Amino acid sequence: MPGFIDGMMPIQLLAELLLIIAIFILGAMILDKKMGIHIPMLLQAVFVFIAGWWYYKYRIDPPLPFSVRAIYQVMISVGIFMWVSSAEKGWIEFKRPIIAVLDAKTPLTWWVRAVLLVVLPLSASGMTYINLAPSLSEPIELRTVHPAPPAAVKVHGKKFPLQTSESPFRIDENGEYSDHVQDAHVMDNPFDPDGIDYMQNVKEGGEIFFQNCHFCHGDNLNGRGLYAFAFNPIPANFTDPGTLAQLQETFVFWRVAKGGPGLPREGFPWASAMPPWEQHLTTEEIWKVILFEYWHTKYPPRTWGEE
Amino acid sequence: MKRLFEGGMRNKQLLSWVAVVVIVGALLLPLVISIPLLAQEFEEAALEQAAAEEIVGEEVPVQQIGRDVHYGDEGIVQGPPAPVTSDNENDYPRYNFESRVIIWVATQQHLYYGSFVLAVPIFVMIIEFIGMVTKDRSMAKKYDTLAYDFIKISIVAYSITAILGGVLVFTFMILYPTFWTYMTKIFHPAMHVYVLLFLAESGTLYIYYYGWEAMKEGLLKWVHLTMAVFLNVFGTVLMMLANSWATFMMSPAGVDAEGQYLGNVWLAVHNHLWNPVNIHRLLGNMVFGGGIVAAYAAYRFLSAKNDEERAHYDWMGYVAMFIAVAFLIPLPFAGYYLMREVYAYRQQMGITLMGGLLAWLFIIQAVLIGALFLTTNYYLWQGMERMRGAERYQKYIKYMTFVLIVCFLVWLTPHTMVMTPTELKEMGGQQHPVVGNYGVMSAKNGAVNIIITTTILSFLLYQRCNKIPTVSWARYGNIALWMLFGGAFVNIIWLAIYGYYIPANVRVGLSVPQVVSTLSCLFIGTAINLLMMRGAKPTGPVEWGKISVRSQYAIFMLATSFTWMMGLMGYIRSSVRLHWHVNEVMRDNSPWAFTHTIGFAANMISFNVLFFWVTLLFVFWLGTLGTKKVVVEKVRVVTVPAPATSH
Repeated sequence: MPGFIDGMMPIQLLAELLLIIAIFILGAMILDKKMGIHIPMLLQAVFVFIAGWWYYKYRIDPPLPFSVRAIYQVMISVGIFMWVSSAEKGWIEFKRPIIAVLDAKTPLTWWVRAVLLVVLPLSASGMTYINLAPSLSEPIELRTVHPAPPAAVKVHGKKFPLQTSESPFRIDENGEYSDHVQDAHVMDNPFDPDGIDYMQNVKEGGEIFFQNCHFCHGDNLNGRGLYAFAFNPIPANFTDPGTLAQLQETFVFWRVAKGGPGLPREGFPWASAMPPWEQHLTTEEIWKVILFEYWHTKYPPRTWGEE
Repeated sequence: MKRLFEGGMRNKQLLSWVAVVVIVGALLLPLVISIPLLAQEFEEAALEQAAAEEIVGEEVPVQQIGRDVHYGDEGIVQGPPAPVTSDNENDYPRYNFESRVIIWVATQQHLYYGSFVLAVPIFVMIIEFIGMVTKDRSMAKKYDTLAYDFIKISIVAYSITAILGGVLVFTFMILYPTFWTYMTKIFHPAMHVYVLLFLAESGTLYIYYYGWEAMKEGLLKWVHLTMAVFLNVFGTVLMMLANSWATFMMSPAGVDAEGQYLGNVWLAVHNHLWNPVNIHRLLGNMVFGGGIVAAYAAYRFLSAKNDEERAHYDWMGYVAMFIAVAFLIPLPFAGYYLMREVYAYRQQMGITLMGGLLAWLFIIQAVLIGALFLTTNYYLWQGMERMRGAERYQKYIKYMTFVLIVCFLVWLTPHTMVMTPTELKEMGGQQHPVVGNYGVMSAKNGAVNIIITTTILSFLLYQRCNKIPTVSWARYGNIALWMLFGGAFVNIIWLAIYGYYIPANVRVGLSVPQVVSTLSCLFIGTAINLLMMRGAKPTGPVEWGKISVRSQYAIFMLATSFTWMMGLMGYIRSSVRLHWHVNEVMRDNSPWAFTHTIGFAANMISFNVLFFWVTLLFVFWLGTLGTKKVVVEKVRVVTVPAPATSH
């Protein structure tokens, strides 16, 4: 089966689900109207339930965590209930085999009921056992991925208010701070000796990145560097639209300068191996490496002003 | 005599106009109060007066000038600095129990009942008005009875609200005396106004309720309606005053950095988050009130002894649900505005709420919001069973269910997932490369707009279930509706995808055209639908009472979800202050200045919900006592009754 196409994954998933449901509805309709075979409502419901479970368990790669699959499966069940019980006719049809089993008026339904009466409590006890049995796996940890930043941060003796500070190197040809300079030069060659100051700073930032950061954050800035999988969780993936792209440049400045030890108490326990880079880099070097990271990922830093 | 008569007519007209002006003026009063500009003018006047006094050279004691923490203006210090408390019996007297939990329960219960009794008179006023202007006398009578039924439930709840208000004030005074003293030093004038307004509201409410029969005809009926207007104006201003104390604690104003009061209570009231909270609470109260009344109707429906009662309470539940949903649709946008203002006030506060410490609670909120819309759709689909001819539209339900469920899945996919370290390693990072993309705002905005638009579609289908349009342009009307909804879906989905490729601050702006698409479907779609249904051929009456019991349980679910969500969001709003009584001004030094675990908070919210519903059942039961056997006319409704709010 073909995999998910890079860059199209979210839409592809929705399209595939749409296709599965369309085939299901069309198939049921053809069977019913053209061939006179009516699939009982209960069976249709069971089919949708299993199809959903199969899709999320086996189709999606890498595998989804159980918590997410559980949420999805509950939602699929809710959807099935809404569908079968939306009209009285369908609801009666759906309930009919269940009630027949509970009434047990035929030998077949009697046997089904007897088996269910044994299997259901056994499954419940089995699940209870699995849940309660001591396990060697580490417990689930709720991490707060976006820590709330302080109002200001002090780096190398200078105070930077996070709401108002600006990168000294995000400057246009006139030497003025500009939110648009990156857009204008995103395709430029950083090694061009005639490049504007902004591109020279990007290049220097890149050098700093490859001397210090890429071991963990990766040469594609995707959080999969040489050492990445020695950490748990692995380092931040800057190409993800949920990381750098969501943040103000000053927020990243704070995180780089203060590293894991500088994280606020409110989200404790933090699991970050990030060193406080202010102990190794100058303020200017920190700003430059951030400049490079934004330039390389093509995401502009978040701003709060009007565009 | 003739002249007098003519004069009388003119006077009557004049009186009507005066009445209209008074009603409109009264309704505008809360708006006028909420304009911040007026507050600043007061401040400037005070400073000018102070300057003038100095110029005159009278012996004025040296006045300390402080700078307002929010507005940045200078003002004369008129109060002590915010007290620095410590963990002792003087600042925090205590029982052998967590004081914060006690205040939590007291506040939440007061808020539940307060919201209910503030909301119900608003829609009682609307329904009474509809009854008065409805020409069909039997329908007019039905509306009037309905309005009376509504206010009857709230009258007992009103006493409970007052009692709980007393409990709350005493709890503050006993458990948090230092903090309470500080607050009263700033807000005492507003608190006195609050008490007076409460008296006025009580008086008006009792005359309004007990005078219903005596004032049911002619001019007196209009006087009665005017009382409803005043009742609501008093109630709304009361709520706004109480809101100002809560929002002052989040985003203080009118004090300097030391917490010293600068003498203008108007500025303290007009703090940064006051108006966003006012709007959000007003809409939220309507949704909540509608939900509770609908639950009451469902309770009466399920316990009804005959078809007439069943028909009446089915209809009552429908109208109440309709009100709840009508206000539920703009509620997320008001919430969005509030959050935007929170971010604008303090980025830190915004991130703590939505990205940081409290973010997991927002996931729960997302689940509840989704559940509300799913339940609403389900109720409407169940309602189709009341009408013959609905089969034409019931076949679309499975498609709408699919759309709703898929959008719901996107809506509640967390950006950061709960997983074991083993799963984390398998996944290769905190964000999943496929479904992780649904965790960001762009996807969620798209999903929630599609959910709302589908709900609107369900409603339009419901409206036309038992009618076949006869207007000559019916075909074009249907095409227009298809295009409207199709266009909205395409626009919303396209913008959701486009949002991934543009900077965050531009993306925020994309929500506007998405919302415009949704609201266009609501207003234009409903308008086209109503016009198409003029003179439509009925396929049968709306058979009120012929609805499944599942629909009534759906109402209970809806009402309980409202209650749970209100408890949850109230907790989030309050706990975002972290270790501050008054943000950045007065620190909370009690032993309980930590943020509770999510599990503890969820249990507390559930306890509050349960407590509220148990006491509410008592209120419902009281509502059934002393009820005269209402002779309910056999309902012969052809048109679907919908309050004026629908279009």
